[in-house]
Amino acid sequence: MPQSEPGTTSGLTAAVMLAPAGLLFLLFFAIPFGVMAMMSLLTANPLVQPNAGFTLQHYERIAGDIFYAEVLWQTLRLGLLTTVLSLLLGYPLAFLIARARRPLTRTLLLMAVIAPMVMGLVVRTYAWLGMFSNTGVINGTLMKLGIIAEPLAILGSEAAVVVALCHIYVPFMILTLTGVIARIDPKLEEAARGMGASRIRAFLEVTLPLSAPGILAGALLVFALAISAYVTPIVIGGYEILTLPMLIFQQVSSSFNLGFAGALGVVLLIVALVLVWAYGRAMRRVAEGAV
Amino acid sequence: MRPAFLAACGLILAFLLTPVLIVICFALNPEPFIAFPPSGISLRWFGKFFTSRDFMAAFWLSLGLGLATVVIAGLIGTLAAIALSRGRFPGRAVLVQLFLSPIVLPSILTGFALFQLAMVAGLGRNLGILLAGHLVVATPYVLRTVLAMLAQSDRALEEAARNLGATPARAFREVTLPLIRPGVMAGMLFAFIVSFDQFPVSLFLVSPGQETLPIAMFNYLRFDFDGTIAAASCVSILLAVILVIGIERMIGLQEYTRL
Repeated sequence: MPQSEPGTTSGLTAAVMLAPAGLLFLLFFAIPFGVMAMMSLLTANPLVQPNAGFTLQHYERIAGDIFYAEVLWQTLRLGLLTTVLSLLLGYPLAFLIARARRPLTRTLLLMAVIAPMVMGLVVRTYAWLGMFSNTGVINGTLMKLGIIAEPLAILGSEAAVVVALCHIYVPFMILTLTGVIARIDPKLEEAARGMGASRIRAFLEVTLPLSAPGILAGALLVFALAISAYVTPIVIGGYEILTLPMLIFQQVSSSFNLGFAGALGVVLLIVALVLVWAYGRAMRRVAEGAV
Repeated sequence: MRPAFLAACGLILAFLLTPVLIVICFALNPEPFIAFPPSGISLRWFGKFFTSRDFMAAFWLSLGLGLATVVIAGLIGTLAAIALSRGRFPGRAVLVQLFLSPIVLPSILTGFALFQLAMVAGLGRNLGILLAGHLVVATPYVLRTVLAMLAQSDRALEEAARNLGATPARAFREVTLPLIRPGVMAGMLFAFIVSFDQFPVSLFLVSPGQETLPIAMFNYLRFDFDGTIAAASCVSILLAVILVIGIERMIGLQEYTRL
């Protein structure tokens, strides 16, 4: 390749290098989503029944039964509550990490945030089961101390699911916010304080508005993750709280209705895509607005 | 910083880390169900986990799957990242977005869509489709870290090597590759975590009798609450701690969070 500039790769070489990843994503990412969308609009599997035709029946079934609207609302509600709680708990810690002066403090705090994140969904959900169950940490301690005689019914409540989901997804919020807050010059806040603003007012009027794009990005990420949670609502919510992912799995495992499950999947996909698109926009604003 | 603020941060840290302690506590508690406070200390659940044929089969499957994912995702992710960062062709930005999208797109949807493909095409669920699913969700992590490393690395070094007479391949092998190696390693570590802890994708794609560790743990958890699951969790926590320290050594956690 004598004519190519130093440091660049010719089109052909680039294509060869991209081919494996491109093929993987075409076959196992793009096509599957296409199949899912297609199946949601067909009466049957066209490879098995060649006379399968176009239909809107699966979507009509979703739109026609208030039950599905309730499940969708429950799913979005869980996502919203988890996001709000994650923001309230995540922001102070992200602020502390971003403003930590000693590198060692920073690293140790980051480890504390990332370690639970790599622990795995099932492990963390089990931990919260141990916390909330009738003989678990909370009830066991309260009964031992004689504060309550009967265990509190924590499992199965929406609050318990939200707390567990927040624990699982708050690291994503913290990592997003840390990056954004670290880019805000602390001198801006100092200047505001120098001009007589109280500590709280300086934070509310300088740092908080400047971190808004990060708050938005973190919130969208946590929301997208929380609405697709499956393990935690089942184990902590004990089927008392039904979410869209649970319904989808139920459709394929017990009813084996691929078309209807596909339609439910498309509904979740549309919600997720809107969130991902908004997240991308928020992150670009973070990058452009870097102080 | 004010004491009240530091106290609040301390409480939040406790919220983050208490579950880890709970798991360790239940793994060592000899009671055959969730019970607090613990009645003693025993290693019986670790014994049960390491001698359970189902858990061990799941553990080795997850480990094998994780290693296969790491090797393949590391290779194709790195190749794609180099092409996307150094190549000159239209649609690069769109391709980067596409390749990174499984990170933010709920993986339960990725798993479900692959399940639809496997069913409609009559492939059924097998190890091949499971590996494909893990690759789709793990490769973006390699791609992301390597892309970031390539963006940081000084292209002038590569050019200098070329000007001194090195072929493009040699300049790449002897200059660029050593520069991006930490990124590749860190990306591979994350790919391993994503695969080893993978739940949503595996949920739809494991075939009965061939379960990965998270799926086996979840199925166990629905009927049995004894300490075996806590012992399994401890093994997975230990692995996580090793990996986090590994990433810190490799590129530094601060670098990672900036990616």
